[in-house]
Amino acid sequence: MPKWFQSTTLLCGALFAISPFVIANAPYESTMGLVQKVFYYHMPSAWVFLTASVICGIASARFLATGNPRHDRTALAAAEMAVLFGLLTLVTGPLWARKAWGTWWIWDARITSSLVGWMIAWAYLILRKYGGPGSEKLSAGLALFGMANVPFIYVSVNYWRTIHPATTVVPKLPFSMGFPLLFCLTCFFLLMFLLMKLRVHVAEQQARLDAIYLSLDEQA
Amino acid sequence: MRILIRTIALVFVLTMQLSPLAAQQPRQQEEFTPIDQLPPQEQLPAAPLLVGAYAFVLLMLFGYVVMVSRRLSTIRSEVDRLDADVKRIGKG
Repeated sequence: MPKWFQSTTLLCGALFAISPFVIANAPYESTMGLVQKVFYYHMPSAWVFLTASVICGIASARFLATGNPRHDRTALAAAEMAVLFGLLTLVTGPLWARKAWGTWWIWDARITSSLVGWMIAWAYLILRKYGGPGSEKLSAGLALFGMANVPFIYVSVNYWRTIHPATTVVPKLPFSMGFPLLFCLTCFFLLMFLLMKLRVHVAEQQARLDAIYLSLDEQA
Repeated sequence: MRILIRTIALVFVLTMQLSPLAAQQPRQQEEFTPIDQLPPQEQLPAAPLLVGAYAFVLLMLFGYVVMVSRRLSTIRSEVDRLDADVKRIGKG
């Protein structure tokens, strides 16, 4: 791994260590009170989840178009990010909702489509693991559906009736709430970038190992 | 006649056994009284939910980093082993 990776990892760790203090200093929301502070980890997780789904879709499209395994490795790493951060979104959301709405889960358009997007990312990884030869291209096709679902997830709160906060909440945030959100968004996107870099590196090493085994088989 | 006596006896025994359960039931409400806020003992505390959410996020992220790092070290040790094997065979 390059040298900058270690220093950036340290920076990311420091930002995450500081984040609870930044969140603690943010004001309480008038109707939801303390539990609204779940927002500062929930929303960045959701944004990273959606971004990773889009990256997975674009890299898969490029892999299908060019056949370059580099794009396939990027798509695989992004799919793992989508599963990880999607899980964080789908767990922190209900913990917030239980107090704010009085229920763990509602089957509205936003939450249901997020669950579908997360399951598509899972399906991508399962297909890659158990699909056998040629599963890369099948899963790449699946990733395109995952990407197509992203705009629907984003706008769903504006078009369907739901109690989930609308997309207008974020632009209207006062600075005292906007700064902690921006801070956490920086933490999460930096972490996603580092984890993707690490995961792509693992996939490259795995490809190298497979190539060595293949050459040994050919020599034998 | 015998069947009738047995049935009455059975009903009597069952009624006697159920009577303590009936005594434990809450008193029947005759009217509903509204209040503005839930009693404090029934209000759902926010702090455990908040702490749970943050703890879950940090644990999952840490777990993923450990998982990927272990996968990487396994691959690296396998590559090193193969390199050593190839060199040994080359010398032999």
